[in-house]
Amino acid sequence: MNFLERLLEDPVRFARIRLGCYVVLGIVALADIVLPLIFHSGEHHFSFESFYAWGSIYGLISTVAIIIVSKLIGKAWLMRREDYYER
Amino acid sequence: MSVEWVHPGILLILGAWIIPFLRGRVKRAAMLILPGAALVDCVLMTPGTYGVVNFLGQELVFGRVDSLSLIFSYIFSLIAFIGMVYALHVEDDSQHVTALTYAGGALGVTFAGDFLSFYIFWELMAVSSVLLVWLRREPAAVAAGFRYLLVHLVGGLIFLAGIVVHWSQTQSLALNPVADGTAWDLTLGGAAWGLILVAFLINAAVPPLGAWLPDAYAEGTVTGAVFMTAFTTKSAVYALIRGFADTELLIWLGAAMAIYGVVYAVLENDARRLLAYHIISQVGYMVCGVGIGTRLAINGVTAHAFAHILYKALLFMGAGAVLQMTRRRKLSEMGGLYKTMPITLGLYMIGAFAISAVPLFSGFVSKSMVISAAGEEHLMAIFLMLTLASAGTFLHTGLKLPYYMFFGKDSGTRAAEPPRNMLLAMGLAAVACVLIGIFPGILYTHLPYAADYLPYTLAHVMSTLSMLAFTALGFFLLLKHLDPEPKVSLDTDWFYRRGSSRFLTLVQGPLARLERGFVGEICEFLIQRPVLGAAAVLRKLDSLVVDSAIIGVGRSTQTLSQLLKTVMSGHTQHYGLIMAVGFLVLLVLAILIP
Repeated sequence: MNFLERLLEDPVRFARIRLGCYVVLGIVALADIVLPLIFHSGEHHFSFESFYAWGSIYGLISTVAIIIVSKLIGKAWLMRREDYYER
Repeated sequence: MSVEWVHPGILLILGAWIIPFLRGRVKRAAMLILPGAALVDCVLMTPGTYGVVNFLGQELVFGRVDSLSLIFSYIFSLIAFIGMVYALHVEDDSQHVTALTYAGGALGVTFAGDFLSFYIFWELMAVSSVLLVWLRREPAAVAAGFRYLLVHLVGGLIFLAGIVVHWSQTQSLALNPVADGTAWDLTLGGAAWGLILVAFLINAAVPPLGAWLPDAYAEGTVTGAVFMTAFTTKSAVYALIRGFADTELLIWLGAAMAIYGVVYAVLENDARRLLAYHIISQVGYMVCGVGIGTRLAINGVTAHAFAHILYKALLFMGAGAVLQMTRRRKLSEMGGLYKTMPITLGLYMIGAFAISAVPLFSGFVSKSMVISAAGEEHLMAIFLMLTLASAGTFLHTGLKLPYYMFFGKDSGTRAAEPPRNMLLAMGLAAVACVLIGIFPGILYTHLPYAADYLPYTLAHVMSTLSMLAFTALGFFLLLKHLDPEPKVSLDTDWFYRRGSSRFLTLVQGPLARLERGFVGEICEFLIQRPVLGAAAVLRKLDSLVVDSAIIGVGRSTQTLSQLLKTVMSGHTQHYGLIMAVGFLVLLVLAILIP
């Protein structure tokens, strides 16, 4: 049993890890809003980059968009049976 | 070739042939010394022009050494070394010879100073890399190899056509740099320009010309695929920097390509095919940067190619280790491997963090240069597309693939860690990824232009971290939609895998019926009938007029000769009588006519 197994197999420890992840996520989102207000940096190329928590919002939107749009294209058109080219 | 300059590519290509004659430890030492010597050779090289050979009245330049060719030669020979470490345990000399020849070809392209030597090494790469697919010696690999060869031979012929057109216009094969020092003097929009650009785009796997890449790379040998990820596409990127910097078309092609790879990665079930689609996505950043063409962009492309070769090789080595140890390639059949392959998992994750541009890993200091270059040029759509694609990169390479391969539903597979040399090679690549991430200066000092780019600013680190964190959130929220499905996705290779047989069915079925029915009827009505009718008329005319005229002449000749025969009796008294009668007639005529 390696180190990872001990962490992931135990339900109590796993729940603790999951909680930890959500806390980190919250801290990152908060820092993304607060830090630019404290340290004004003028290095943005576009106005939308200085929007509150721009990175977090765009990251989440991108992920959801990529998964949903790709799956739609795949289901509607691109995905075929595994032996498609062998038949 | 001058004595003070040794071509590292030719060193590898010729040196590779001693490997089959060696055994055991000596052979393994030679496998490392060859690429090691090439690396040292490249590092010791100073800019200049070397290896000028006159051939059939043309000047061939084998060693055009400048800052751009140097940095590409460093990474090509470094990855050849790491790849050979990864392949040390393989008891198949042909794979080693082929891999070293392939690396030598890439180095040859890098240092080529004229079209002819460039073309020779370019084709050598195509021919040697196809062997790395065939040497897996399975029917699927042989078939994929033929398709790969088909595409690259077509690309090579297009390139050759471009060179011939260029030569016939300028009478020169030299790769002349134009005034600004980088691009070749091809007439923009001319035939040679277009042909050579298409040939490069095929090798850079730009859609719709790029489906050969996931098709072949997923079928290559475990160790051979590592070499393939490094050389073909990145030497094409190098060629694009040389010849087509600041070409606006490439900006859009590159950005579209970055997203295209990500979309296919969502649908993919085969681990190495998924990673191959991410090569397309990552090369998209490079093609886009070449199109932007500013100093920051070209520096970014070069740095990204360097970092990409290392982390992509690391990822392919990780996936290859799993493939070799489990004999499974589909994500839907893996899972739970973290229990028995934790070292492979750890090393793979370093590559995954590097490609996802996590701060302190190499992708962070290179990819951001290209995105910043798009920002500096105020290309908003491009900036957003590239940022979206980098969320997709983390989503697949950093989350989806490791989740389904190492965690996820336990498949019950209990594979051991791969041989030590494979872990060592992955370790070397991982160390390089982290070193470049922490000390970007190591890489920046060798870039073609002076680099004053600062990757570690608060805003940049913050926006990257928050984007990655929320990409991860999105992944776990939509996890059940991402389960890999045992399906294949159609790509443009459909046209030569299925399209061609569809085309033949069309030709043999409906088109043939159409030909016999419709075209045949029209043909009969318009051509056959009039021609046959005219022929019949002419035949009648012939038999009636011409024939009877000839027969008539014959008959009358015969009748006349029968008549004359009665006169010619053979008796002298008859002839004398006739003469006397004739004489009398003449006499009468002479008297009667005054």
